[in-house]
Amino acid sequence: MIGLDAPRQAEAGPAQATGLSNETRFADAFRASETPMIMTDPGRPDNPIVFANPAFCRVTGYEAHEVIGRNCRFLQGPDTDPAAIARVREAVAHGEPIQVDLLNYRKDGRPFWNAMSLTPVRDERGTVSSYFALLSDVTGTRQAERALMREKEFLAQDVEARNRALQSALDQQTALLHEVDHRVKNNLQVISSLVLLKARRAQDAACRVVLRSMADRIGALATVHRLLYTLDDVSRFDLRDFADDFAIELGAGIDPERISLTVEVEALAVPASMAAPLALLMHELAVNAVRHAFPGDRRGRIAITARREGDRLVLEVWDDGIGLPDAPANPEAFGRDLVGMLVRQLRGSLVVEDLAPGTRAHVVLPLGSGSSGSGSSGSGPGSGPGR
Amino acid sequence: MSGPALRVLIVEDEAFIALELECLIEEAGHVPVGVAARSDEAIALARDLAPDVALVDVHLADGPTGVAVAQDLSGRPGLTVLFTTANAKRVPLDFAGAAGIISKPYSERVIRAALAYLAGCHHGGAPTDAPDGVVLAPLADRGGD
Repeated sequence: MIGLDAPRQAEAGPAQATGLSNETRFADAFRASETPMIMTDPGRPDNPIVFANPAFCRVTGYEAHEVIGRNCRFLQGPDTDPAAIARVREAVAHGEPIQVDLLNYRKDGRPFWNAMSLTPVRDERGTVSSYFALLSDVTGTRQAERALMREKEFLAQDVEARNRALQSALDQQTALLHEVDHRVKNNLQVISSLVLLKARRAQDAACRVVLRSMADRIGALATVHRLLYTLDDVSRFDLRDFADDFAIELGAGIDPERISLTVEVEALAVPASMAAPLALLMHELAVNAVRHAFPGDRRGRIAITARREGDRLVLEVWDDGIGLPDAPANPEAFGRDLVGMLVRQLRGSLVVEDLAPGTRAHVVLPLGSGSSGSGSSGSGPGSGPGR
Repeated sequence: MSGPALRVLIVEDEAFIALELECLIEEAGHVPVGVAARSDEAIALARDLAPDVALVDVHLADGPTGVAVAQDLSGRPGLTVLFTTANAKRVPLDFAGAAGIISKPYSERVIRAALAYLAGCHHGGAPTDAPDGVVLAPLADRGGD
């Protein structure tokens, strides 16, 4: 390959017919190759091109005679990366091979990406006698790469913009939830205050009792709202947290010497939509036991339990008091009606057992999602469950 | 009732809540000395009436200024501040000098218990356990007493 001195006749003319030496055959092969190739002579001033094959001429648009004798730099142009050129110069200075992507320019000025492989060719003494360069037009690849890169950048920006929009929407939602939560709590305090104020001013004792019991019901709802949205999952409500608070409030109203109260509620996250009716239900059943199971100085026990059984909640309120009253015309019948309505709203079932002595209210409520809709609320007032 | 009667300033912009609190405080054997609905009123009343306790809502008639009120009032010797708020998240980590937070909606029992606890503290006795329903400030930040 070293003797490739043929480029003198440079012009990609027909091979000489005379005596097909190896050198001539090599030269013919290079000329016939579809790969653009040039050879330069570092022995001459400015390392000029001494051979260029027709493929090179096709890629660059130059005639062979236009390039022979010139240094390769005429292929460079305004957007050729100086760093890439410096790398080539470095490699040439050290007599090392190099592969580099260069933005080169055709004769008509159109740029093309040239993946160039430059190899120093040494003679028997090890001196670099020529440089052999293989060119490859990779403009298409580079453009595809760049298009891909742009697409990636665009996608990344798009994703980021969407993330920002989502975050901002989430922030707004959170702020709104807090605002509404705050208002609900504040309004419950106002409502409770109104009822208690009226109770304080009521002349009639029975009226005061009624207003107080309404205030207690509002209090049960208030406890629910104080505890809602304290779990990370705002759609759930922790029944035990409620029961703990509720037990303290209930316990404050009874004489511990006379009535012992136990509350055993499993840590149980119930759907938030169940929270208010469930709390009211627990309140009505418990208050009913406190008020009516132990008339006079009667002593006894009250136990409230709630546990999960499969996809159902089992709530029991038990007492060892006087059992079910016979007289249905109890002024507190409203409490029983409430219980019936709440159980229906929660799509559950209620059984009240007269244990003689004592009473047990046994409530089973479905916990499944969507089973606690409020659409069925209180459509039949006064028609409590049979008890 | 443990301890002496406390002089209580109510800082609350909801008239019904304030009125009911006054009744409740009286009923519990303490003295409601005034009601402020705005931050400037609260600061002026605290100066003029020298209460022992201030119950301070975060949201007042002039905005979420209860925190600044607590900051100012808790700097007064002998005055203990308790937040009463539906927006406990607005209270800074150091409680702005307040001794604790009562979350709205609260029950009468919680207010009674909180006042009894503070009366015990003012009396000089060793403080009992924190009353249920009151979140006490971190010890280092506890004002009043």
